[in-house]
Amino acid sequence: MVLGAVPAEYYLVLSAAVFCVGIFGILTRENALIFLMSVELMLNAANINLIAFAFYWGNLTGQVFGLFVMALAAAEVAIGIGIILVLYRNFDSVDVTEATTLKW
Amino acid sequence: MAGVFAYAPAIAALPFVSFVVALLAGKYMPKKGALAGIIATAGSLGLSIAVLVTVFLGETYNETLYTFVGGDVPFELTFGLLLDPLSAAMLVIVSLIAFLVHVFSLGYMNDEGETGLPRYYASLGLFTASMLAFVFSDNLLMAFMFFELVGLCSYLLIGFWFRRAGPPSAAKKAFLVTRFGDYFFLVGVVGVLTTFGTAQFAGENGFPALAETVLNPETTADAVNTFGFEPATWFAILGLLVLGGVMGKSAQFPFHTWLPDAMEGPTPVSALIHAATMVAAGVFLVARMYGFYALLPTVLAVIAFVGGFTALFAATMGVVKNEIKQVLAYSTISQYGYIMLALGTGGYVAAFFHLTTHAVFKALLFLGAGSVIIAMHHNENMWDMGGLKDHMRVTYLAFLSGSLALAGIFPFSGFWSKDEVLYEALVHGLGGSPLLLGAYAMGLAAVFLTGFYTIRMVLLTFHGEARSDTAEDPHGVRWNVKFPLAVLGILAAVIGFLNPLPIKKLTGLEVDFLHQFLDSGPEALLTSSHHYSGLTHDYAGYSVGTIGGGEIVTLLAGAGASLGLALLGAGLAFALYRGAEPTRHTEKLGGLQTLLMHNYYQDEYQVWLAEGLTLRLSGAADTFDQGVIDGVVNGVSSVSLFSGDRLRRLQTGIVTNYAALIVLSLLVLLGVFAALGGWF
Amino acid sequence: MLIEALIALCLLGAAVVFVAPNRFAHKLAVGFSLPPLAISLYMYLAFDGSGNALLGGDIAYETFAQWLQLGSYTVNYHMGLDGISLPLVVLSTILTTLAILSAWTPIDERQSQFYGLMLFLEASLIGVFGALDFLLWFVFWEAVLIPMYFLIGVWGGPRRKYAAIKFFVYTNIASLVMFIGYFALVFGLGDSVSSTGLPEIAQALRAGQLGSLGIIGPDMLALAAFVAMFLGFAVKVPVVPFHTWLPDAHVEAPTPASVMLAGVLLKMGTYALLRFNFTMLPGQAEILAIPIAVIAVISIIYGAMLALAQSDLKRIVAYSSVSSMGYVILGLIAYTVYGVGGATFQMVAHGLISGLLFMTVGVIYNTTHTRMVGDMAGMAEKMPVTAGVFVAGAFAYMGLPLMAGFAAELFIFLGAFESTVLPYAPLFTAVAMFGIVIVAGYLLWAMQRSLFGPFRLETDYEIGPAALHDVVPLVTLVLLIILLGSAPMVFFESIQDATLDIVATLGGGI
Repeated sequence: MVLGAVPAEYYLVLSAAVFCVGIFGILTRENALIFLMSVELMLNAANINLIAFAFYWGNLTGQVFGLFVMALAAAEVAIGIGIILVLYRNFDSVDVTEATTLKW
Repeated sequence: MAGVFAYAPAIAALPFVSFVVALLAGKYMPKKGALAGIIATAGSLGLSIAVLVTVFLGETYNETLYTFVGGDVPFELTFGLLLDPLSAAMLVIVSLIAFLVHVFSLGYMNDEGETGLPRYYASLGLFTASMLAFVFSDNLLMAFMFFELVGLCSYLLIGFWFRRAGPPSAAKKAFLVTRFGDYFFLVGVVGVLTTFGTAQFAGENGFPALAETVLNPETTADAVNTFGFEPATWFAILGLLVLGGVMGKSAQFPFHTWLPDAMEGPTPVSALIHAATMVAAGVFLVARMYGFYALLPTVLAVIAFVGGFTALFAATMGVVKNEIKQVLAYSTISQYGYIMLALGTGGYVAAFFHLTTHAVFKALLFLGAGSVIIAMHHNENMWDMGGLKDHMRVTYLAFLSGSLALAGIFPFSGFWSKDEVLYEALVHGLGGSPLLLGAYAMGLAAVFLTGFYTIRMVLLTFHGEARSDTAEDPHGVRWNVKFPLAVLGILAAVIGFLNPLPIKKLTGLEVDFLHQFLDSGPEALLTSSHHYSGLTHDYAGYSVGTIGGGEIVTLLAGAGASLGLALLGAGLAFALYRGAEPTRHTEKLGGLQTLLMHNYYQDEYQVWLAEGLTLRLSGAADTFDQGVIDGVVNGVSSVSLFSGDRLRRLQTGIVTNYAALIVLSLLVLLGVFAALGGWF
Repeated sequence: MLIEALIALCLLGAAVVFVAPNRFAHKLAVGFSLPPLAISLYMYLAFDGSGNALLGGDIAYETFAQWLQLGSYTVNYHMGLDGISLPLVVLSTILTTLAILSAWTPIDERQSQFYGLMLFLEASLIGVFGALDFLLWFVFWEAVLIPMYFLIGVWGGPRRKYAAIKFFVYTNIASLVMFIGYFALVFGLGDSVSSTGLPEIAQALRAGQLGSLGIIGPDMLALAAFVAMFLGFAVKVPVVPFHTWLPDAHVEAPTPASVMLAGVLLKMGTYALLRFNFTMLPGQAEILAIPIAVIAVISIIYGAMLALAQSDLKRIVAYSSVSSMGYVILGLIAYTVYGVGGATFQMVAHGLISGLLFMTVGVIYNTTHTRMVGDMAGMAEKMPVTAGVFVAGAFAYMGLPLMAGFAAELFIFLGAFESTVLPYAPLFTAVAMFGIVIVAGYLLWAMQRSLFGPFRLETDYEIGPAALHDVVPLVTLVLLIILLGSAPMVFFESIQDATLDIVATLGGGI
């Protein structure tokens, strides 16, 4: 059990770091594509957690959820890119700060 | 003869039918409903006379006929008939006057080509029906209900000529002022019902009898609910409340202001209102429940003073008026003051006697005035008349008979009744109730003024030279005007002999028929006049006092004083206004004349109460309502809208901002959990 | 099953009329409103209930079926009538028919939808008066708002949207408060009740089974629930100071909707007050007797004063409704047979009389296109029949004897005067009775200015003779008012029977 030598905290720290990178991306960037990537990062951060805990507890449920999240992420990317395409068609840019007309 | 009582409800039902007929079919009928009214009132008159005869023969009737509300209630509300000497006599008076007024209307309305006659005759029929039903009511609630209907009909009739501005306003005023009085009356009715559990006028279970048992220290009575007051105090309050309605309808000070305005109505209506229906209803009510008032010395004193004061007060205003109907209007107020004076001083019979004679001579005077008005092409100003006696003989003679009766000149009817009223006030004042002498003095002073304004009116209208073109060639009148005048003219001269008290006292002959009649009837009804005098003696402390050499001297002194004053007033008027071209002496009164012409500014302050005060208050209430109350309601909605408007600005539409908010919230939440969970 | 038949017929009529072409809608609607009218009159004649439906009396036309199970509470489909609700059902059917009849002239667009909503309104109203389970009742109670909202909002005057939203939101918030109050009681009763049915709750409350709810003790809970429900219903009645939606709604609503609003919808408030507050919580009513009486007196006098200040005929009648509803509250708080019975009688009487006045004003408006008193004078000359009915209606409103208003007010005054529940009852009554003077003042004044005097009409419309479809409802109402006024036992007998149990606890009056 090589893996067992790595304590759970390490995984958590890694996952938190990846998640923060994702959030940082969302909070600071304006390009919708970067948004999409950041969201992917955050989802994968969650995945790391799920899998790490699944391993830690010896319970496969977490891994199943990880698979679900991947599928979901794929679907999300498909829809997300579709939205971005429409966004570009309507606003001539993929800058998310410009598309504010849905607010009220 | 007692079987006639079974038909007694028809006395009121017949005019009611004429109301329905005139309303629905009047415009298709030959005289536009008049015939229905005449037939109906003639029927009522016949039935009333039959009832009177039956009552005279010693039968009375006091039955509940219809239960208005029954079942599981604390007290039932019922309709019924009370036919005793008082109501039987009043029924005859009312139906007689109503009948004559209907006949006269043929001349005054139909012959003059008025429109809207079905409405007129319908209202007249309902008016008569309500008054008759009021008269034979056996309880206070029923009396109140028909009292109100009388008010409605007077509203409709005073406002008959609704196309002009004046009549609707006068009608409104009449209804409102009397309604103000009726408000107190209704409180009184509710009070009487809740206090005694009954509102019956007569019999052992009537409320006057119950009140007597409560007040009588010798009997132990079932306790009545006096709402925490001493019984005597509470009864006095109830008596005063009911009196409010009486003063409103009978136009007693300060509720008299509606009556002169009511002259806007057609003259036959004025005759009916003043002589037999609306105004008479008030004082009749006091007579009807005299068994209750006789127990209440304070209320009696109030009645006496209101009456005496009104008699004098109204007479002063009558002195300066220029329209014939205005003079008559103020004389009505004044004469009803006398009736109140009599009631207040224990003169129950005297009051009804004066009510009777007044009904006759006042109906006569109004119908006579109506005849004059027809002749003058609806000009009512006496200064445009003059010399009419040569053109209208019947009217003049009848009018003169009525005027002499009004002035109280021997031997016309008014003399006998007014004399008896003053006599009652005098002897009871002397007999230990000196306060009443004050009311007596006012009544006596009014005699002089009455004599003055009456003769002034006659002289200005009928004597001297014609002062206008119409007066020189007046419009003729037909039989339908002359017939009622003739009937009433004769009655006004002779009806005083119903009850010539002085003759009885002087000669010992039993000629006081009205006294005997009102004293008859079964003891159990408790409505006989000796029962009432017993009550005023026991509870109000009224006893007969005399001056000098006893009753005869007092009687002669009183009669002499009133006759002398009446003659003095008449003589003064004669001296001032005789001759071909009388001058306007009232102008010499200066400021006093202005005051009198403005009726002591009574109308002004009452209009101020209505328009200046109430209307302004309601305007302020409206402003408050729209501004503050509705303002709060709208304010709540504005605050919601405003805060929503501000809050929605959080929703910028920029995804980054939402994400930042989410992150921040998460951090805050973490911080809170950390602080509460003790992670540090 | 007769109540269900009533409701079903109304709903069927509503559905059919709704999809019918506009030109048939009026006749169809009149036709569909007649069977419910006939059924309700039959129900009146065949009425065999006795006692109060909530307090163990014999319920007439009862239907009972289980509907839902909510936690430990059963919600039943429970319908039935007693002496209090029966007159109100009859009132609803009569007024609906007459209001539909009178809608011929004023409603000239989207007729089918209008009449469909009117029939839907009728169904909901019958449901409100017939339902004996709270949730069932609440469904109907709220359902009433829907047609009325559209009736005002679509066919109303210039400010119709404002008025409709104000009406809807105001009464809806009030319903929420009331709903909370009622469920506080239900939960406070705990295990002693197993359904939300009004009879069960009422009897449990009267048996003193109310427990604590959380930290709130039974007395406090009952008082709070009483206040909450009172506030909720007070908006509907409406009593001062929750009355301001009423004049706006009335002024904007088309005449037939005004008739229903004043004639029946306001009675829902007083009916609910009677059913909930005054039947279920008499002890709390006694505690709050003086404040309630003060509110009643203020409503009477203040409402009348406001009516005096108005120059729009509809506003005059609207404010006077506030005044008249004050009498109902006064009668309820008296807790005597005459008081509570008179209050119920006043609901019916005022329904007829205010309906009559609104219809008359409507007829005047249809002809002259103005309701402002200052814009017209001497209308009696051009519209004699309408003016005559107006005079009759006004005098009925003023409480002329032998008309329904007098009987109702007399009962209330008698009941309130002798009340032992209300301290200083004679004083309160006497002050409240002054309303009869003010009401005479504003109605006579309004009539003097608009109906009498020399003819003048600012809007300059041609005035033709009165049409039959205008006159028939008016005259019918006048005759009904006179019938009820001269023979009040027609309704008062059953009302009396149903109120005896309500007042018995406090021993008032008997």
